[in-house]
Amino acid sequence: MATCGEILVKLMEAYGIECAFGIPGTHTIELYRGLPQTNIRHVTPRHEQGAGFMADGYARLTGKPAACMTVSGPGALNIATAMGQALQDSVPMLVISADNNTFEKGLGEGRLHETRNLQAAMAECSVWSHTLARADELPKVMARAFAIFNSERPGPVHISMPLNVTTSNADHVPMDLWAIPSRPAAAPAQLQQAADLLNESQRPVIALGGGAADAAEWVRALAEKLDAPVSLTHNAKGILPVDHSLHVDTSPSYQPVRDLYLDADVVLGIGTEFSESDYDFFFNGEFALGGKLIRIDIDATQLTRNVRPDIAIRADAQLATEALLPLINESRRNGSQRTAQVKELLAPLNHPGYQAFLDAFQVALPGAAVIGDSTQPAYFGAAQYHAPAPRRFASAATGYGTLGYALPAAFGAKLAKPDLPVISLIGDGGLQFTINELSTAIEAKISVAVVVWNNERYEMIAQNFVDAGMEPIACDIYTPNFLKIAEGYGCPAHRAESIEHLIELLRQAQKVDVPTIIEVREQDFIQA
Amino acid sequence: MVENSKAVASCGEALVKLLEAYGVDTVFGIPGVHTLELYRGLPSSNVRHVLTRHEQGAGFMADGYARVSGKPGVAFVITGPGLTNISTAIGQAYSDSIPMLVISSVNETNTLGKGWGRLHETKNQRAITEPLTAFSATAYRAEDIPDLIARAFAVFNSERPRPVHLEIPMDVLASPVAYDWSNELRIARSRPQAEPKLISAAADLLKASKRPVIIAGGGALDAAESLLAIAEKLTAPVFTTVAGKGIVSPQHELHGGANLCMSPAWDYLEQADLVLAIGTELADTDMWRDTLPIKGDIIRIDIDARKLNDLYPAKIGILADAMGAAHQLNQAIDSLETKPSVVADVANLKNGILQEQAELQQKHLAVLACVKNHLPAEGFIATDMTQISYTGNYGFESEGTRSWLHPTGFGTLGYGLPAGIGAKIAAPERAGLVLAGDGGFLYTLQELATAVEEIHTPFVVLLWNNDSLGQIRDDMIAMDIPTVGVSPVNPNYTMLAKAFSCQTYKPQSLDELESCLEEAFKYMGVSFIEMHDSSVDIAQ
Ligand SMILES: Cc1ncc(C[n+]2csc(CCOP(=O)(O)OP(=O)(O)O)c2C)c(N)n1
Ligand SMILES: Cc1ncc(C[n+]2csc(CCOP(=O)(O)OP(=O)(O)O)c2C)c(N)n1
Ligand SMILES: [Mg+2]
Repeated sequence: MATCGEILVKLMEAYGIECAFGIPGTHTIELYRGLPQTNIRHVTPRHEQGAGFMADGYARLTGKPAACMTVSGPGALNIATAMGQALQDSVPMLVISADNNTFEKGLGEGRLHETRNLQAAMAECSVWSHTLARADELPKVMARAFAIFNSERPGPVHISMPLNVTTSNADHVPMDLWAIPSRPAAAPAQLQQAADLLNESQRPVIALGGGAADAAEWVRALAEKLDAPVSLTHNAKGILPVDHSLHVDTSPSYQPVRDLYLDADVVLGIGTEFSESDYDFFFNGEFALGGKLIRIDIDATQLTRNVRPDIAIRADAQLATEALLPLINESRRNGSQRTAQVKELLAPLNHPGYQAFLDAFQVALPGAAVIGDSTQPAYFGAAQYHAPAPRRFASAATGYGTLGYALPAAFGAKLAKPDLPVISLIGDGGLQFTINELSTAIEAKISVAVVVWNNERYEMIAQNFVDAGMEPIACDIYTPNFLKIAEGYGCPAHRAESIEHLIELLRQAQKVDVPTIIEVREQDFIQA
Repeated sequence: MVENSKAVASCGEALVKLLEAYGVDTVFGIPGVHTLELYRGLPSSNVRHVLTRHEQGAGFMADGYARVSGKPGVAFVITGPGLTNISTAIGQAYSDSIPMLVISSVNETNTLGKGWGRLHETKNQRAITEPLTAFSATAYRAEDIPDLIARAFAVFNSERPRPVHLEIPMDVLASPVAYDWSNELRIARSRPQAEPKLISAAADLLKASKRPVIIAGGGALDAAESLLAIAEKLTAPVFTTVAGKGIVSPQHELHGGANLCMSPAWDYLEQADLVLAIGTELADTDMWRDTLPIKGDIIRIDIDARKLNDLYPAKIGILADAMGAAHQLNQAIDSLETKPSVVADVANLKNGILQEQAELQQKHLAVLACVKNHLPAEGFIATDMTQISYTGNYGFESEGTRSWLHPTGFGTLGYGLPAGIGAKIAAPERAGLVLAGDGGFLYTLQELATAVEEIHTPFVVLLWNNDSLGQIRDDMIAMDIPTVGVSPVNPNYTMLAKAFSCQTYKPQSLDELESCLEEAFKYMGVSFIEMHDSSVDIAQ
């Protein structure tokens, strides 16, 4: 007999899931029965939060979901934060959590891991959350999950598996996959309207978000035809090559970029939320547009948020830009000069110390993916770090803004692209949230350079306290000896003394099949 | 009571003063840009802030604090990730009826539910905690807060205690108060008393019973004195759940222990003609079977009406606070003739349990015996989800209540260390020991940083290392499932503990463990003892 748990992992494999992260427990062991018969690689994290962040890192680099498998109750809630981050950043992720037997749910009898209504909590962190009632629902449920991953604005999907359903007989369940729905293309009439507006414009600007990450080729061509400067959010980094003459290489929150938007007669926003964490990084509420706005987004409701569009096109970024391209007349609009002007104004705003530090990454390891946490250099990186290609930078300093992301997410990224160098950039405070995952990486032989920005405090929050007219409280924390901790886990660990030394250590880290901790003391790199 | 020397400016400041007025002396948390206004009032208060290294740690610490002190544990967390990080600990407290007050920020009122992609935004933050709390509420105005805090303390003091979540939008937190409510105490400390008619009916049943048994749970911790008197009058053995450990002294001849998961106890219960179950859910996590084989009538006393007929139909169900009801019941019962055979049966039963222990459990018991030898009087033990704790749940005899902290219902890994830290902060004069497995310890080991920062009296972390997720591996083997993901590559735990500046030990035998424990309980700070299961030789 095949159980529902066994066919679940078969279906996961059939849908192309390559990696599953999970800590087995009494309520999930039935999911493990069939796992060795699949090609899915199982990685055991040390906390379910790590599972979620790893799946996130995996998906950021590939655009494909990985799976997480958790026990009910605490296991499921442990992964909630990682799902929250994925939801805010539109990252696909399949979360399977166990639940108590269907016939015990909601009775409040105090069963192991019991939650009054687990799905209600998980639904808040998912695009879609579903409790499986019968084994024969599973193919439809999986079809819907993958419809969300492939054909909608992606995000985490949660499937709750009651124990009695997981162990039930599934011999009768048909295993044919359902066809994956197509992505929405743009309505031709709207595209023409957009093209007309753009063709007539004098000073167009393009604002790209993470939704455009897989449309790089087409948006680049579009930008060049329009001769329009292009701004990038965190999740859009790398869509334009670093030295492209139309690349506004900073965060959209900086005044010169805001002036660019104000001065533009048409802004074309593609796959971007226009949200606070990218467009109002300093929380002063002063983001504004001067001209018309065309928005392209796969999510209809997103087109109604934050900034009012004159033309709202609900479509996949790539399909829409590809279709828009032939409608655009090539014309010179001083794009490069306008971009250069912004850069000139930006230059004095850039911090030279952080610039030198951030530049070291690509100098040491060209093409590397960088995964950042809420730490000083990652905040500066929002403006001053430039990714070599799309899907080569991710940071949890925005959106859900959770600490401890960058270590496990970098491990997931490396699992997704084993041949690519991966750098984790994390502060001493953030690292303490998820440092336990070093064990996972050692076990799974994951080589990542972990750059720990150590100022022995929550620098960001200390600054916030000062700005709010208070003495910092609970910011100057006891900080353990990270080099010794690394040694305890079995990782090589070094302190970088200089930029040159950092570059050398980053390269050296590629030679081992475990993480390397590279401690960077803030005072050694940044003049007070 | 605090005095209001100067007028309070913001809602956040007033809230801290109000909490202080309610007797809150400690908050656990991590500040962030969203909670600055909560912190503004802290320096001018007497409230101690304990910085944790993950909000999950803050939640478990608040839980440990509450279990040891009986007072609600309080945590301050940021919007979004701070709240989801603490949610597991809230769930644990809910399962085990622990009072806990979680105060979080949430985004500005005008942005709620809009999905604008604000920093730390959730769809509906309160909906996440709604299923995990007695209630969760949003303060839409500063002036809502005295009501909501009063309601929270009404739950803590007068209901089945459970966690409460209060979220305060950032604009509300920063807003000036319309009037000074920072001293506005509204204490409801009335707990439901038993209906006298039901008490006398229960007393009649008890007096008529030939072989009564008492089962006391975590809800009956404060009823210990009356329960013991009742037990003695009736010669009724008292079994407790794990949360009820210590209600009866282990030296007492009617102490049945927390043995409800052991078959000799089941056999005994099967012969009982009457069971008095007080302050207990009678949940399967304590029994290791679906339901107990109770053949006789059941009298249930519970503060939660929904528990009175739960799983087992009650002959008499009394909705009441355990302490008051036990007191009334004791007064309604006269001493009956003692039944020496019962005393002998209890001794046999406990002996029988010891005899039937498998080799693994014997190892656990040997280690626990060493702990028992050295744990100072009044010491407490905070435990994680590890096999040695499961054995200790019945096999370790706690001398008093509030001394064995275990994440029974929700069963969360990573509970032990932070819960122990919280307990220690509530009761610094009591020695503390944490019992964690190699898997569970890694969940929250970063809180060693909190421990060394905050604890300067004896606190011992005893790691039970079997280089596996032992329980799950054993379950897999039993169910003929390939043992995937249960044999981790472990770090060098002792080196890790050293990196956190702990005093460390790695005993190679039970004898060495004895001397390590002796030293560790003298050390004014955090000690770490790694005991590998291969170092325990019970043949000795
Ligand atoms: C889960 C969670 N808790 C709290 C915060 C609030 N927070 C944001 S940045 C920060 C400080 C991080 O310190 P560290 O990692 O050392 O970086 P630094 O700013 O010192 O470079 C804190 C506490 C958060 N973002 N997420
Ligand atoms: C958050 C969470 N995830 C998973 C589980 C399932 N689980 C229960 S016990 C256990 C093994 C713990 O291993 P360890 O701490 O080494 O203790 P041992 O059983 O080996 O004594 C696991 C994975 C759980 N209870 N909670
Ligand atoms: Mg173990």
